[in-house]
Amino acid sequence: MIYERPKFLAGGDRYMLIEFGNEMNLELNFMAQGLASAIEQNKAKGVIETAPCFASMLVHYDPDEIAFRDLEKEMMELIGSLGPSDDIELDSRLFYFPTCYLDPWTKKAVDDYCDKITKKEWDPAFVARLNGLSDVQQFVRVHSGTEYWVASLGFWPGLPFMMALDPRCFLTAPKYNPPRTWTPQGTVGMGGASTAIYPVATPGGYQIFARIPVPIWDTEKRFPEFSASICLFKPGDRVKFVPVSAEEFEATEAKVKEGTYVYDVVEYQRFSVRNYKKWVQSLDRTKRF
Amino acid sequence: MFEVIQPGLETSIQDYPGRIGYWNQGFPPSGPMDSWSFRLANLLVGNEPGAAGLECQYLGPTLKFQRDTVIAVTGADMQPKLDGQPVPLWESIPVKAGQTLALGPAKVGTRTYIAIAGGIDTPPWLGSRSTFHKAGVGGMEGHALKPKQVVPVASGKGTAGRKVKPDARPQFATDKRWTVEVVRGPNDDWVDNAGHDRFLSTDWKLSAKSDRTGFRLEGPQWSFTEKATKKAPEHGSEPSNIIDQGYPLGAINLAGQTPIILVNDGPSMGGFICPYTVPSAAFWKLGQSRPGDLYRFKSISVDEAQELRKKLKALCTSSSII
Repeated sequence: MIYERPKFLAGGDRYMLIEFGNEMNLELNFMAQGLASAIEQNKAKGVIETAPCFASMLVHYDPDEIAFRDLEKEMMELIGSLGPSDDIELDSRLFYFPTCYLDPWTKKAVDDYCDKITKKEWDPAFVARLNGLSDVQQFVRVHSGTEYWVASLGFWPGLPFMMALDPRCFLTAPKYNPPRTWTPQGTVGMGGASTAIYPVATPGGYQIFARIPVPIWDTEKRFPEFSASICLFKPGDRVKFVPVSAEEFEATEAKVKEGTYVYDVVEYQRFSVRNYKKWVQSLDRTKRF
Repeated sequence: MFEVIQPGLETSIQDYPGRIGYWNQGFPPSGPMDSWSFRLANLLVGNEPGAAGLECQYLGPTLKFQRDTVIAVTGADMQPKLDGQPVPLWESIPVKAGQTLALGPAKVGTRTYIAIAGGIDTPPWLGSRSTFHKAGVGGMEGHALKPKQVVPVASGKGTAGRKVKPDARPQFATDKRWTVEVVRGPNDDWVDNAGHDRFLSTDWKLSAKSDRTGFRLEGPQWSFTEKATKKAPEHGSEPSNIIDQGYPLGAINLAGQTPIILVNDGPSMGGFICPYTVPSAAFWKLGQSRPGDLYRFKSISVDEAQELRKKLKALCTSSSII
């Protein structure tokens, strides 16, 4: 649900978590992103930085400048000033990534977790079963059948938190318990209803089942996509995973290494929330690919 | 400038408050874990309290200075020696070109800070000189110090013989037990009363699987309210799973059943609940403890946490130096 009044939760002496609702839908992410922009434009007093995510936004504030209660009031005012999300239209880049689903590398990470930490079902089989899909092949069809919306960046520099735009591809999964100690670079995984790409080898808690050979962050800025930022994505980008074989994956990986890889991205589209909602309403959500 | 003869276990360049303003892209602030000792070291040598200095962990480095300067060593006692002669902590010391400062293993506390007049002058990255090891950015080439590196220092004029007032220094636990303040939230209503009681009445052991990204705690199981057990599937099915959210630095992040305190190099977002948050004024205790130490958590209000922060800030000024 979307809360009638957002919740203002304390995080120690210098953070406030503003929760707009307790589900994943685009509306909530627009509220979070919209509030973050409003804070920046209005130079809200005492706010050091924000971190908007799917359904909430974290505010890092300076308690010497503003008290928790006053910040809450300021935030309520800014939230009240946000227009209806239907009117939102924004430039949205679409990235196509060659993606090796059911790949040997994430399989190895899962096997290693089973050997060293605790036994678990192979992640894609587990997610397929939980979501009532017939097998891992259908899981690949469903997971790769939609564009993903980059809702926010976080956890690790440049890591995109994404949600499926096509409701027929909506999947959910629990997170690891306990988390993995390592995940291969470029791994695609999901937890809750969120899909993410791991920019570098890190620990992780998502179910993992695919890998992309293309860097999504680059401190050396070897590719033109990184001229403005070492992180590839910004909120409002979209991603499409294109299933490829392990051989194709390795061929692309070699191009990346040589520096000859060309990012497959379209930059001329605008995303209209009104049109998107209209399209979603026209779909039969019970159907899967 | 100084040359690294031996790097120690993981000696890194840090500044305070670190890399601020990039949490929404996933960059942590980094910076010194015990910013109290760190800031005092800088004040001793006449620097701004946040100037870049060295953080030494467990085992300190050996450094050879290439010009006359003034330095200060604070934090854990690694029994520093200058050309073999013991030097005091919490005091500014003159150093001659060619002299060697050698630190050993930490006796009391875990992290030692070395400030040099002028401050370390490596190129800042996203506005900070702090090292973020895991991503290989900041500091010297993105990582902890390595032998033979020559570290640049800006020019500065320090005064030797300045001391930190004894009552302005942090007191480190000598019995491996620490009382660490926590504030409830942001996700405290996911844990039931029994879970809260257990959290606050347990001696939590700091796990060896801890580093500057997270401090893992060992202790009893958690129990939950219906909010955690009956929820929409997009949260994830485990009780500790929540729709991914921004994490406060210092959050006690419950990954499955394992609480992890998110510290200076920690993740900015994720899908686990954070029932408590360690306030900024208690971070120095985390920085000065080591695996095997025991934490007892003491719940305080937001106002009390902000009051502690104010007090600490007042201590990290020149009024603490004599």
